[in-house]
Amino acid sequence: MQFRGQSVKENIGTSILRVDSRKKIRGEAEYIADWKFDGMLYAKTVRSSKAKAAIISITLPEIPEGYAVIDHRDVPGVNRMRTVVSDHPIFAEKDVQYIGQPILLVVGPDRETLYDLAAQIDIQYREEPALFTLEEAEAHSRVFTDYHYKKADPEKYFHKAERIIEDTFSTGYQEHVYLEPQGMAAEFKGDTLFVYGSMQCPFYVKHALIETLAMPEDNVRVVQTVTGGAFGGKEEFPSLNGCQVAVAAHKTRRPVVMIYDRAEDILCSTKRHPAKIRYKAALDKNDTVVALDIDVLLNAGAYNGLSPVVLQRAIFSATNVYNIEHLNVRGRNFMTNTVPSGAYRGFGAPQTIFGIEMLFHTIALKLGLDPLEYKMRHLLKQGDPTCTGGRVHETVKMPEIIQAAVERSGYYDKLRTNKKFQGIGIALFLHGCGFTGKGESQIRGKIVLQKCRDRVILKVSSVEMGQGAETVLRKIVANTLDLPIANVLCEKIDTGLIPDSGPTVASRTTMIVGGLLHDAALEMRARWDEGTQFEVSKIYEHPDYLSWDDETFRGDAYPVHSWGANVAEVEIDPVSYELTVKRITAVYDVGVPIDERALIGQMQGGIVQGVGWATVELMESEGGKLKQGNLTDYKIPTSMDVPDIACYFISNPYEFGPFGAKCAGELPFVGAPPAVAAAVSNAMGCAIRDLPITPEKLMETGHDH
Amino acid sequence: MVNGFRPRTLREALQILSANNCTVMAGGTDLMVQRARGFSIRPDFDRPLVFIEPLEELKHSVRENGTLHLGPCMTLSDLLRHPAVPDPLKEIIGMMASPPTRNMATLGGNICNASPAGDTLPWLYAMNAKLKLQSAEKERIVAIEDFITGPKKTILQSDELLTGILVPDTRFHLNRYRKLGQRKGMSLTKASFLGMAEISGNTVTDIRIALGSVAPRIVRAAEIERSMLGRYVGDINAAAAVITERYQPLITPIDDARSTAMYRKKVSLDLIRQFLETLSGSPGTGTKSE
Ligand SMILES: Cc1cc2nc3c(=O)[nH]c(=O)nc-3n(C[C@H](O)[C@H](O)[C@H](O)COP(=O)(O)OP(=O)(O)OC[C@H]3O[C@@H](n4cnc5c(N)ncnc54)[C@H](O)[C@@H]3O)c2cc1C
Repeated sequence: MQFRGQSVKENIGTSILRVDSRKKIRGEAEYIADWKFDGMLYAKTVRSSKAKAAIISITLPEIPEGYAVIDHRDVPGVNRMRTVVSDHPIFAEKDVQYIGQPILLVVGPDRETLYDLAAQIDIQYREEPALFTLEEAEAHSRVFTDYHYKKADPEKYFHKAERIIEDTFSTGYQEHVYLEPQGMAAEFKGDTLFVYGSMQCPFYVKHALIETLAMPEDNVRVVQTVTGGAFGGKEEFPSLNGCQVAVAAHKTRRPVVMIYDRAEDILCSTKRHPAKIRYKAALDKNDTVVALDIDVLLNAGAYNGLSPVVLQRAIFSATNVYNIEHLNVRGRNFMTNTVPSGAYRGFGAPQTIFGIEMLFHTIALKLGLDPLEYKMRHLLKQGDPTCTGGRVHETVKMPEIIQAAVERSGYYDKLRTNKKFQGIGIALFLHGCGFTGKGESQIRGKIVLQKCRDRVILKVSSVEMGQGAETVLRKIVANTLDLPIANVLCEKIDTGLIPDSGPTVASRTTMIVGGLLHDAALEMRARWDEGTQFEVSKIYEHPDYLSWDDETFRGDAYPVHSWGANVAEVEIDPVSYELTVKRITAVYDVGVPIDERALIGQMQGGIVQGVGWATVELMESEGGKLKQGNLTDYKIPTSMDVPDIACYFISNPYEFGPFGAKCAGELPFVGAPPAVAAAVSNAMGCAIRDLPITPEKLMETGHDH
Repeated sequence: MVNGFRPRTLREALQILSANNCTVMAGGTDLMVQRARGFSIRPDFDRPLVFIEPLEELKHSVRENGTLHLGPCMTLSDLLRHPAVPDPLKEIIGMMASPPTRNMATLGGNICNASPAGDTLPWLYAMNAKLKLQSAEKERIVAIEDFITGPKKTILQSDELLTGILVPDTRFHLNRYRKLGQRKGMSLTKASFLGMAEISGNTVTDIRIALGSVAPRIVRAAEIERSMLGRYVGDINAAAAVITERYQPLITPIDDARSTAMYRKKVSLDLIRQFLETLSGSPGTGTKSE
């Protein structure tokens, strides 16, 4: 192990101490809830108790001196949260569309008084018929987004097929359960608005503020505070609560702070999209899948927000690591009167990859074939067309990855010797690195490296949120310039001080932003002796061999992919159907690891989160209300539930990634759920079509068996 | 504004209770959750609090004349460490909450909270535990099944404290406990099973079965248990399904956020049947506690 101050030169993969660990472990890191402002007011949100209703009247109690109520009439600009589809009102106007929708804020100096005032506000509603489930929304055609793409000639091959197999798979909600709940603060200093808080995307928040506050760009600054986990949950949501506190600060001219507790956070923050995926597979006489018809349905909740791009990743990942010649893919986001779904690690891909992995698994079992061999028949190779008719440009090391996973786990031995209620299963997967489609070329991320004598300051908008970004980005620069890591510093995440290198999402930070930093550092190294103070800046250019058409969805949806295989081993209690995930053997190609320990941390975390989604994380909505609305009822894995995890990396440098690195943040999430499901299927001798796999559901399937 | 009392002795505590209408707080791990109001604001207490957890008099545990006396203010962690506490109770406590919560949570709190999911309750029911209730004026001793009258309901008067838990010191050579939760640690019980039996030669001399979280109160059927006494183990094994059937009407679980009525019912019946089917006279045949 190496420590701060030491050179990180020899090998980029060698682990160093994380630059943020000391402060966090000692409790010195200051989260937004620790911040104090002079004359600050707290905010409490009053929310809809109805799933769909017209607001008839709002009767306020007497508001004491020093307290205020903030609603949509106080919004100086546009009362909509700016995102991909800017449809979510900052504050409800005439109607509400989901339980928990924000209607107004009460602000004032004493939190307890705010709770009392909020409880006395009387809102009269006229309830209207609502839709809650994907099934209801589909029956009523309540579609937000309807995408479609096609490859070659699926109709013909369905017509010619030897055999057609149909199946449907579904997955549930997932709550992020970042350790630190959502929290934002706003204050005016003169004419300039400052918004502080826990977030992934400072420039998203800034652009939302400009529109909602109708303020000039130069007078809006957004500062990220130490962020205790996000996983996508702080991608678009902070734009909403950020605008709310800013409107409150604008009206009261006082600093306003709003921190959620866990129950409020679960009630109103975004979740992973519940999904249903229907497949129709055309098999030729060799039982090979030659054509697929895929119908992806996502429950977007009451507002579309950034669900269209989630849907894009879902449908562009729908064929996973397989080369299917003929395709017909449809994807729809449905509107239901439930809390909006949003970004969550994997961004739609975990749903469709679970679906197709289970489809291939189920078809193989139906045909009496070995699932892994059957999957391998369909594997993509370098040069093959992708599902959207682009190319797999990179070297594909799937055969090595699979071999390593099989050997390290003893897959075939265990498959033979496992007793009933013991199971082993394998999943293959990929993840498209960086933004989907034109995303990277539209954002055109910018970075700046500044030399100050023997120090270098890197200026990016990629945030540290627990994933290790600060360590990895500083390490890339330090290593390139042959400087100790302590001499390479990150500028504070304040939109007034940093360029927009894009949001901290889509597994793009190391590969895209780190790539720009690497280029800049190489240039700075060549020019090192030019002076004691100078800057190098870079703007992202998409590699020119890539093409994409946003209208037809043709071309390279992603510049490159990371790949992997997971083997899961499970045991099921024959009486209680309790599921134990014993072991996960995980092999990944993420290009080149930048810091092995940081990377293994990401892999373990992603696996555990994926295992949670696949097993214990049950969240149901009934009549628009979450049944598991707190951490007593909604369970995420504890250390007692974590399997043994063995991680291996297959090196496969990517030409445009820093030191050859590709993406890694979301990849581990994608692979674990289908591996666990395949293992359960193996243990129980039945198909698994629905996540999470609870003992309650297993008991029913075990019954039929 | 809510006041608090910090009595130094049990006598003082009982006097406070007889003079004021108070809420008793032991470890507070149930109360603080039940009364929580929101982030960083005080919980919703409407009556003065009496903090009894520090009272030394309520923290003792001794074995005396065939009775185990457990102090209600012993924390779950205290009990786990105490030599007088029998292993089957330790096994149960070891699966409750998490170490930090166990450092605060008391046995008395688990009993007085009277939740059907209270994990120590099946064992206390199965052991025929008695509770000592004390006020400044009087003292009474009641059986645990008479103490708890429904979910979160007890016969405790507002001037009374639970001051002692008396457990007949009976040992069973067969003990089986299963706690089903949504995950492996830090989970409230969706169903639990406790089976204990004493077998002499090949005859059942004592058998107790108690189930948690599958009815408004802990399920224990003395009559069904009695019907098994004096019978050959082999007979019980053979009649397991029939005997289990008699538990059917007693198990009346609900659907909730954590599980389904169907699952709870089937699993509890299967656990009873499995226990009866595998009862055996010779030790070490899989009916030991797991
Ligand atoms: C994270 C977490 C996990 C948990 N996991 C479990 C679990 O796995 N299994 C389980 O069974 N429970 C669990 N609980 C619930 C709780 O910890 C237990 O019920 C605990 O034993 C309660 O004890 P306490 O001392 O904290 O009770 P308190 O909250 O102090 O009191 C509970 C009730 O009992 C009354 N009371 C307490 N002592 C006396 C007394 N001596 N005389 C009269 N009245 C009294 C109080 O007035 C109150 O009504 C969990 C709680 C938390 C927060």
